[in-house]
Amino acid sequence: MSRQLPAPDFDSLRYERPNLKWVCGKAADGQACRLGPDSRGRCRVTSECRPAYETKPGETTGRYRCTRPPEYGGPCGGGPLPDGTCSRPLAKCAPVRSLRAKRIVFTFSIAILTAGFLMVALCGPFRWGFISPGPLSRQHATFTFAHRAKAEAAGNCSVCHQAARGGASTWFQAAFQARPGPWQIRALAAAGSSSLTAIDRNCLECHAGHSFHEPNVDSEHSCSDCHVEHQGPGPMRAPSDATCLSCHADAAVLQASIAKASSLPAAAFDYRPAQGRVIYQTPRPPRGYTRIIHSFSTDHPEFEIVLNHLKDPDTLRFNHQLHLGSTNIPAYWHGRKLTCYDCHQADAAGVHFIKINYQHNCQPCHSLQFDARNPGLLIPHGDAGRVRAFLRSLTQQYADYAASGQGMGGPARVQAFAGEQMTRLLLDYHSEEELERRVFFNNGQLGPVVAPGGTNQQGAAVFPGCAYCHEVTSSAGGAPGVTDPFLPDRWMIHGNFDHSKHLVSATGVEGKILCSACHDAEHSRKTSDVLLPSKEVCVQCHSPKGGVPENCSTCHSYHSLRKDSMPAR
Amino acid sequence: MRFSQQRGFGFTVFLILAAELVCLHLAYARQMPRLSCLTGWALLGVILLLALYNGRKKLPFLPLLSSEEWLQFHIYAALLTGVLFAVHVSYKIPAGWFQGVLAWLYLLVMASGFFGLFLSRAIPKRLTTRGGEVLFERIPAIRRQFQERAEQLALQSVGESKSGTIADFYLRELKPFFSGPRNCSRHWSEDGGPVNRILAKISDVKRYLNEQERATLEEIAVLVRQKDGLDYHYAQQLLLKAWLFVHIPLTYSLLLFTAVHIVLVFAFSGGVR
Repeated sequence: MSRQLPAPDFDSLRYERPNLKWVCGKAADGQACRLGPDSRGRCRVTSECRPAYETKPGETTGRYRCTRPPEYGGPCGGGPLPDGTCSRPLAKCAPVRSLRAKRIVFTFSIAILTAGFLMVALCGPFRWGFISPGPLSRQHATFTFAHRAKAEAAGNCSVCHQAARGGASTWFQAAFQARPGPWQIRALAAAGSSSLTAIDRNCLECHAGHSFHEPNVDSEHSCSDCHVEHQGPGPMRAPSDATCLSCHADAAVLQASIAKASSLPAAAFDYRPAQGRVIYQTPRPPRGYTRIIHSFSTDHPEFEIVLNHLKDPDTLRFNHQLHLGSTNIPAYWHGRKLTCYDCHQADAAGVHFIKINYQHNCQPCHSLQFDARNPGLLIPHGDAGRVRAFLRSLTQQYADYAASGQGMGGPARVQAFAGEQMTRLLLDYHSEEELERRVFFNNGQLGPVVAPGGTNQQGAAVFPGCAYCHEVTSSAGGAPGVTDPFLPDRWMIHGNFDHSKHLVSATGVEGKILCSACHDAEHSRKTSDVLLPSKEVCVQCHSPKGGVPENCSTCHSYHSLRKDSMPAR
Repeated sequence: MRFSQQRGFGFTVFLILAAELVCLHLAYARQMPRLSCLTGWALLGVILLLALYNGRKKLPFLPLLSSEEWLQFHIYAALLTGVLFAVHVSYKIPAGWFQGVLAWLYLLVMASGFFGLFLSRAIPKRLTTRGGEVLFERIPAIRRQFQERAEQLALQSVGESKSGTIADFYLRELKPFFSGPRNCSRHWSEDGGPVNRILAKISDVKRYLNEQERATLEEIAVLVRQKDGLDYHYAQQLLLKAWLFVHIPLTYSLLLFTAVHIVLVFAFSGGVR
C-alpha cells in the first residue's frame, strides 16, 4: 500500500503554509493559484503570468515573454499581448479561511458566547439561582429565613452575603476587599481556625451570641469553620471531627485555653442554664477539658463520673438488685420479675426516660395505707407538712373517708365510725405523737407492718414509714422533714445520648441492646451507685473496630445555651 | 532521552507529585480552612501553563524547549490538574449550577485532551498501514490529480476503443467519488465497504470490455484505490485536527468561568472557605 501515496508526480517543492489565515478558494478543488489571497482574504490573481519584457542583444525593441511556470503548464502558446499583458486572464476566487483560522474564529466565537452567557446569567433575574453553590440546608429553608429574604430587596442571597446587595461591580470590590483577599496567599495558607468574618455578622443577626462554647476558648471562630452551607436541602451536615480537632488536638491552642481559664473565676464555667431540668453537676477538672484528643476510641478521656468514682447524692433509699431479683415481687407482678421498663419508661421520642415518680412507679407496690383496717385511707405523699396536717386531723380524715369512701350516711354514724377508728388506732400506737413519729421515722424495722416495703398475696404492702425510703430529719422545733430526692434528668451534660438509637441495634445486629449491657443495675444495692457505663463500654461499638461512628458531633455540640442568654423570668 | 524513557520519567514525576498532593491535602485539610483557595490557585496556575502550549506553538523561533518536550509536559501537567481538581472539589462534583458547569467544563476539557492524546497515538499507527505521509493541506491537490488522471483515462478509452462504456461508467459511478473527500465516517471506523463496492462494480464492468479497455479500467481501479487511501488519510488527519475544535474553545470557556469563579468565591465567602 505504501507505494500508493503520495501521488507520484506531485511537486514536493511546493511549500504549504497552513498557518496563513486565508487560502485560495479553489484549494478545496486542488486548483489553488500560485499567489494565494492576501492577509485580509482578498484574491490577488489577475492572469496566469506576468510577462517579462526582454531585449535581445543588438535589438532596439524588445518583446514580452510568457513566464508561466512549468508546473502550471510552462509558457503558453498564445504568449503575452502586445501591450505586455497576459493573454490568459484568471477568474478571481473567493478565498476561504484556513482550518487553523477557522479554529481561531470558532474559539473566539465560543469565548464570546461564553462571556455573553455569563453576562446574561450573572445580570439576569436568575443570577442568584445560577451562582448559588447548592440548595440551602433545611435549617435555612424556614419561614423566618424566607421572611428576612423577602425584606431584602436584593434577593435571598443578601440576607447572608453582603456582596449580593450590589451588582457585578460590587462583587469585584467585595472580592478584592475580602480578607484574606485573592492575592494574600500567605494569609490563605495560614493554619488554624479563621476568626469572625463579615458573613458571620449576618449569622449573628439571627443566632445571637456567639460565645456558646467553654468560656476559656482562646479565640472566636468563624461560623463557617464548622457549618458549611449550600450543601443540599437536607439538614446541615454535622461539623467534621477536623474542626473540633483543630483545637482539641492542638497543644498550643489548649495551652492558651488553660492560661485563659486560670484568669477566669470558677463561676464563669457554671454557665449552662438548667431549663427546668435537674442536672448532675460534675466538678470541673483542674485543667478543664484540655486534654489532647484525636479520636474517641483512642485518647478521649474517661467520663468524669466514672474516672472519679463520683456518687449519686440522692438520699432516697433504693436497691436495684433487690427490685430486679426479689422473690417477693413476682407474686405481685403476675409471676414475673420486674424489668427495667416496668419503672423506666421512654418519653415520646424515646430519647430519654420519663422521670421516676411515686404515683406511677412506686405506689403500685408501696402503698401509703397506714391503717390495715381501712385500706382506702392513704397518707398524702410529697409534702411533709401535708402529712403532719393529715395526721393531726385524723378524726376528720376518718369521717371524710366514711362519708365518701365507705358511703356512710348520717353525721352520727360517720362520727361514730371516726371515733371507733381513732380509738383502735390509739390502742395500736398509744398516742397521736407516737403515730406521727412512726409514720415519719419508721424505716421498716419497727411497727405493725406486713411484709414491710414488699408485697403479699393480697396486694400492696402496708405503709411502713417515710424513713423506709426517704431521709427524714428532725428540725429544731421538732417538726420532721423529708429530704427531697435528687433525681437528675441528665447525668452527663457535656454530651447528648439518644436511647432510641441504642435500644435498637445500631450495628445491624438483630435484637435489642439490653439495658444491662451498659447499666449494671442488677448488682447495685446502694443508691449512691451511679449506674453509667464507662467509656470502654461505648468504645466497644463507637470505634473503628466496632464499626459505629465515633465522631465528636455524635455526642457533643459546640454550642450550648448560656444562663445570661436566657430571657429573664 | 528515548521516548519510552521520557514517558517513564514523566509518569514517575507525575505519580510522585500526585501522591505528595493527596498526602499534603490529607495532612493539612483540617488545619488550613482555606486550603481549597490554595488548591484553586495551583489548579489555575497549572491550567494557564497548559494553555501556554498553544502560545508556544505560535513562537517556534524562541529557544523554549522543543515542541515534543512541551507536549510531554502538557500531558503530565494535565494529569496533575486532575489530582488538583479532585483535591480542590474534595472529590465530589459541586452541586450549584455555576460550579457544576465549571466542573463539567474542566472535565470536558480533560476528556477532550485525553481523546486527543489517544488520537495522536493511534492515528499515526493507522496511517502507516495505509501508505506514506501526505500533508493534509496537499490532499485536495493530490485528489485533483487523481481525478484528472481518471478523467483522462476515461476520455482516452473513448478514442481508443470507439466505445463509451468506461466513460459512461466513470460519469455514473466514479466522478462523484473522485470529486471530493468521501466516506469520512466509514474511514474512522475502518470500514472498507464503500471502496470495495466500487471495485466490485469495476469488476462487473470488465466482462463487457475488450483487452485494451480492461487495461484502462485496471489503471482507473488503481486510481480508485489510491483515492480511497487519500480519503483515509484525509479522514484520519481531519480527526486529528478536529478534536482541537473542542479542546481549545472549551479551554477558553473554562478560563472565563474560572475568572468569574474567583470573583464569586472571594466576594461571597466573606474571606472564609
